[in-house]
Amino acid sequence: MSRLSAAVPAQRYLADSQVLFYLNDAVTQLLEHKDEYTQFGLVRYFAEYFSSVKNSNHVLFREFNYIRATQHNRASFIRVFWRCFRQIGKSGELLSVLEYRSLLQLLCPDFPLEVVQSTARIVLMDDATDCLMSFTDFIYAFQLQLYYQEFLDGVLLIYQDLLAGKSPNTVIVPTSTSVEQLLSAAAEENEKEERQQDGVESSTLSQCVDALCERFKCSHPSTACMKEILEQTDKVSYFSFLMSLSKHESINQTIGALPSKAEVLIDPEMDQELDKLIAQISVSPSSNSSGSAVGALKEAPRRASPRRNVHHRRRMEVESDGSTEETDSSEN
Amino acid sequence: MSDKEKRRAAVMPSGMPAGKATKPDSDREFLAQAGVGDLLLGAILKMVEARSDDPVGFLADHFCNLASVTDGGAAGCGDEEPPASGPSGAGALEQQRLNRALWHLRLAHHSQRSAFSNNVLVAFDLLNITGCQRREGEAPGGPDGPCSDGPIGAGGGGVRGGLYTQTLQCLCSEGGVPASTSAPLLQRLCCQDHEAVPYDVFRYGVLTCAVFSDYIRQAQRLYAEVCCPDQGPASRALCLTVLGTLKDALETSQGCDANCCLNANTRSNTSLEANTKALCYLQASARISPHNLAQTMVGAQTRGPGGNMDAKEFENAAAELFITRVKLVS
Repeated sequence: MSRLSAAVPAQRYLADSQVLFYLNDAVTQLLEHKDEYTQFGLVRYFAEYFSSVKNSNHVLFREFNYIRATQHNRASFIRVFWRCFRQIGKSGELLSVLEYRSLLQLLCPDFPLEVVQSTARIVLMDDATDCLMSFTDFIYAFQLQLYYQEFLDGVLLIYQDLLAGKSPNTVIVPTSTSVEQLLSAAAEENEKEERQQDGVESSTLSQCVDALCERFKCSHPSTACMKEILEQTDKVSYFSFLMSLSKHESINQTIGALPSKAEVLIDPEMDQELDKLIAQISVSPSSNSSGSAVGALKEAPRRASPRRNVHHRRRMEVESDGSTEETDSSEN
Repeated sequence: MSDKEKRRAAVMPSGMPAGKATKPDSDREFLAQAGVGDLLLGAILKMVEARSDDPVGFLADHFCNLASVTDGGAAGCGDEEPPASGPSGAGALEQQRLNRALWHLRLAHHSQRSAFSNNVLVAFDLLNITGCQRREGEAPGGPDGPCSDGPIGAGGGGVRGGLYTQTLQCLCSEGGVPASTSAPLLQRLCCQDHEAVPYDVFRYGVLTCAVFSDYIRQAQRLYAEVCCPDQGPASRALCLTVLGTLKDALETSQGCDANCCLNANTRSNTSLEANTKALCYLQASARISPHNLAQTMVGAQTRGPGGNMDAKEFENAAAELFITRVKLVS
């Protein structure tokens, strides 16, 4: 508790805290499921709601607009995704864009394809986006893309202006819809002018990005980290810059959703649990431990029409705090 | 009719046929009926008052606390520790009241004086069981609100001495003060178990413990500044100088209280009084200003006793300076 914080006016404090957003959502959810939550107890409902926001369990099965609404929600979603699916990384399975999207849709029914495609462009450096990706590569790029989406869009505009030889000072931060067009335009341009493949002057981009950060309202990676990355080479392309950002440990720590790359797949307690389960299952001859997990996941999107079940699932979550609680404890 | 239907029927405005209510209206009615507005207003006010750095966490704790009160402490939520089971009946109930009182006392830092005072009042009423039970029928203002707006502690009520002492102990240990350091302070503040502690004394004790915890933390930091972490404990000469400066400053600020009392006796102008007080505090803080401290420390480096002083000894000496200025209760 900061002793100087009393100087902040109440309205500023409320606006900065984003707490009104959560209060608003809590009441909206309450009205959607009036009867259920009235029985549950209103005070208890609000207690559960804010506890789940605090513990980052609140984004499960919520709509994408909710997930991207605050930086805390974005970080929470990244963490939930990692917790739910890190076993895939462990098995060394490589998945495609559509498969990753299916996984994401298990957690967020309307998760858009574009975000997954943008992530794939970071991993695969803009070429051959139908290639398969490892879980580790994907999740760090996904983290960058989801958490800093608006900033990355701004950088892309600057980059394209620099490529075209224009002065990038008049950059307007794009809305999310126009980004796709911009990206495809960029792709075409790259094909046309092969010599531009190696990108733009790092120092120029660094200056422009610095200027962008100064007037940027949304969050962005620390300027020191970006400077460090851009000082390493003379020329840089947009996607190699993003790739370096996604692999930067200090940026990862700032977001605080994922462990360091070395530890991203380590989870001894979960392994023990799985070993136990597998030992139980392997008694029956029809099961196959190695391939079955991903096979089941690939089929999952077809089977699950999550919208229909969201209501039910949320209730279970509220009543028992269900499986997420278990994974929580296994981490510590 | 099931519970749910009853509730829905109650929500409908009496003159209106059930089917015709438009949705926003019924939502509004529902929220008003359920008291959601008041519930959230109370939470937001508390939050703004406390200016917590983690508002979401604050709201989670706030609602959990409220829920545990309405559920009779049967359920804790999320990461809260489970309520103490075991000693049933009065002991458990008292522990629960103590926990809730401590929770209120933690809400705002003592420097935010009006918020802190409100919370002390709420905590006092929670612990002042007999007084509360007597007044509960008259003021149904929710289980957590102050029991009445009337003069507190009047009418012979008061917190049981043992409970009061326990509250102070918890405050000190939560504030990061080692028990050995806080023991002499608590000796001065504590009351006998059978005594009934009135509000004024309760507030004085709680505020002193809160300030003391801050003071000890500052003293610990001060020691860390004086000693170089790589070179082991700090030299005794330096520590004594720092403590001496601290003592000077404390005496200066206390002197101003005495002056003010004198002024009050001679019924002089109140604004003049306030000015004198402010001047004294400024003088006191000038005495412990980094510049002044550095100068005296430079002088001390060449003379003074040899040897070292460890962190605990420094902390005890600093605590003693504070404690001798705390007036004895009872």
